[in-house]
Amino acid sequence: MKSADQIQQSSVTRFLEKMPTIVKCVSFLSVLLLPVIALAAGADTKPMSVEYRDVPWIGSRNLIWIVAQQHLLLAGFVLGVPIFAWVCEIVGWKTGEKRYDNLAKEFTKLLTSAYATTALFGGILLFLLIGLYPKLMAYLSEMFFPSFMIYCLLFLAETAVLYMYWYGWDYMQGNKKAFHLFLGFLLNLFALGIMAIPNSWATFQASPVVVADGDAWVRAWTAMQNPTWMPVNIHRLIANVVLGGFIVGAYAGIRYLLAVSQEEREHYDWMGYVGNFIGVFGMLPLPFAGYWLMREVYQYNQQMGITLMGGFLAWLFILQAMLIGVLFLGANYYFWMGIAHRIPGSEKQYKKPIMAMLVILLLCLGVWMTPHTLVASLAEAQKMGGTHHPLLGVFGVMSAKMTVANIMILVTFMSFIMYWRAGKQETAGWAKAAKVMMNVLLAIAGIAVIVLGVWGYFVPAIIRINYFSVAQVLIVGFIMVTFTPLTWLLLKSAKTTTEMVWGKMPIRAGYSLVLNAVMVILLMSLMGYARSSSRVHWHIYGVMRDTSEYAFSPALGYAAAFMSLNTFVYCLLVSFIFWVATLGDKAKAQQAKAEMSDVPAGAAPTMAGGAPSSRENIESGILENHK
Amino acid sequence: MSEVALLQIIGLCVVGTGILILLFIKGMFLRVIGFVAMVLGSFSLIALGVPQVASLPPAIEKFDLAKVKSPDDLAAIGQKIFFSKGQCALCHSIGPSESARCPDLNGIGAKLAPEFIYESLTQPQAYIYLDFRHASQPEEYPARMPHINKDPIGLTKPEIYSVIAFLQKMSGADITITVEDVMESQEEHDEAVEVAFMTNADSLDTGAAENDVDP
Repeated sequence: MKSADQIQQSSVTRFLEKMPTIVKCVSFLSVLLLPVIALAAGADTKPMSVEYRDVPWIGSRNLIWIVAQQHLLLAGFVLGVPIFAWVCEIVGWKTGEKRYDNLAKEFTKLLTSAYATTALFGGILLFLLIGLYPKLMAYLSEMFFPSFMIYCLLFLAETAVLYMYWYGWDYMQGNKKAFHLFLGFLLNLFALGIMAIPNSWATFQASPVVVADGDAWVRAWTAMQNPTWMPVNIHRLIANVVLGGFIVGAYAGIRYLLAVSQEEREHYDWMGYVGNFIGVFGMLPLPFAGYWLMREVYQYNQQMGITLMGGFLAWLFILQAMLIGVLFLGANYYFWMGIAHRIPGSEKQYKKPIMAMLVILLLCLGVWMTPHTLVASLAEAQKMGGTHHPLLGVFGVMSAKMTVANIMILVTFMSFIMYWRAGKQETAGWAKAAKVMMNVLLAIAGIAVIVLGVWGYFVPAIIRINYFSVAQVLIVGFIMVTFTPLTWLLLKSAKTTTEMVWGKMPIRAGYSLVLNAVMVILLMSLMGYARSSSRVHWHIYGVMRDTSEYAFSPALGYAAAFMSLNTFVYCLLVSFIFWVATLGDKAKAQQAKAEMSDVPAGAAPTMAGGAPSSRENIESGILENHK
Repeated sequence: MSEVALLQIIGLCVVGTGILILLFIKGMFLRVIGFVAMVLGSFSLIALGVPQVASLPPAIEKFDLAKVKSPDDLAAIGQKIFFSKGQCALCHSIGPSESARCPDLNGIGAKLAPEFIYESLTQPQAYIYLDFRHASQPEEYPARMPHINKDPIGLTKPEIYSVIAFLQKMSGADITITVEDVMESQEEHDEAVEVAFMTNADSLDTGAAENDVDP
């Protein structure tokens, strides 16, 4: 006979076994937070005897670097995916096209599987920070303790809503769909809070404000409202969408490469297209958000801005330009391949514009990558007539870089418009006038951006930053805002001349989707290093100095090797998570195949141009057959 | 072998492995891994090709008041405190600035008496001037002045005196804070620390004694 203790123990074990992984992770995280609470409570009274602890061989800073990077990248994916999964679901609901609903569900499946790992890495990171940087964590806990509580509550709410959203997907169809969409809204709302609160901790480290007396809530709120908090929030929100989009695209790209049936190829070709579209859609406003962030950094502390853009991190921005350039080229290349392979006959029609776009993109990339100063010997400098090359020096300044960034955005947007219009013949009476107007507007916009860029050389920097750069952004924004609805209206009544054919993309399309994802991950790692290094030898800029042996910022080469390692580890981790998440699908597919063999001839629908919907058609065919 | 050379060799090996995988391995997933390795290795090699500059932290400066010989030395220490431990420059500027969240302190040392500045630093809510210049409509500033002698900034009295000396100097006024004032305040500070230590030690002893008592 079991004793009471044994019974209790076995019921606890059963409870733990039944407890879903995410809940376990949240509980684990909550337990991890307890030492933080204790640390915060004791911060006033107990002297901090240990300021730092080290980890042999790898070093405390490197260990934190790896874990924090993995956590941030996973978190970026987890917070970005719900945004477009929800939008996709709305599109499916509004248009009645089931394939969008299925795609949203597939996005959410990836999200659910990545969620637990993100929480796990968050827990490990917290553990390591408390153990390795106790003095800093005590200070931050003292400052932000109330926000920790809000963060925990938001995390619990997010987990609960995610459960309902994911597990209730099939149940909440029909007249319950509106409630499911409301859950999706809540999911994104809580995710926004989960992103914004830790952002305030990190941005406080870079741009602290003096916190006057007041209760803990007032102090925490004051510290949260530091100058770079909001720009970072916006920048990260957009970047998360970009990361999520391109990772979903890479997932689809790999699945496309691994596909064994035409049906799979069609589905993942379409999914890859959607992922790339989401990534590009987010990427277009991202440079503007980055520009705003840098502007705030300069306004907060000019020295910090100079460290970033003109100091030891200056070359980092050349690498950033290279990565962004490859990303723009990769995203455009994928669009162009889509025109050539999905819309037969369009290749010839768009060959010349594509070539022109490629040349413009390469020229712009060349300008963006031009450094302001060159590493030159004395003799070389004398030949150049100074440290600035007479021609290249002109392209090394912000006026040129802002101009080419805007043009690259414009070109990418036009690539998308071109893809959208390919294979369709406008029938509206006003179509010709609209197309002429669009061409004229595009030409005026391009010229205006260039003129403002050149003019920027002849006015004081403050005029360029406050007016010219803003005007360039507004011009490009105006083109996007007017062209998108206009094209939609044009195509609403257009007749399709060539049916879209999915699943015919060449192998290199899958690789280009993978390349885009790698570029985005590297970019996020690179800019994370920039943000962290801009604090130089301060844990909290100007307030708490880093007195550990790792107070230095490593050179770019060492940092890049670390970023590559982090990116590789992340890619493997995400691949493993997605592989695990799709194990169930394989079993289902095998089962469906087995059941399909019982379906009488003609019961399975034929695959039309919109082939991605064939999966649910097959499923519905099976259901019909069962009925 | 330098760190850069070592990393370059590793980078080349990674790129080479990626190329070999793409050339000889048929498995699609492994080929993707090889492709990613090639891209990442190339990125590292490019980053290793640009000028390598690490940012080393400056030596930690200690404010040794025993070495102060003149008011100018005091002002020099005050300047360092103003821009570092005192965190004054987080909000205040010296001269007009768009980004300053609190009043411009240019000329303040000549306008205000050192006693008033001391009180403004240690009891910022005692008298509130919305705009100390009185040149225009009173202006609200987004940041509230903290007690500078309390946590988290916690400047000591000699350090506050040094900052006042700096404010006077940069305003072009005579430095009225004397070395003797600072030394005196240093002694007061040391005594206060000693008393606090003794009190703390006493309470610890008492606590220990209480703990020794059996219930």
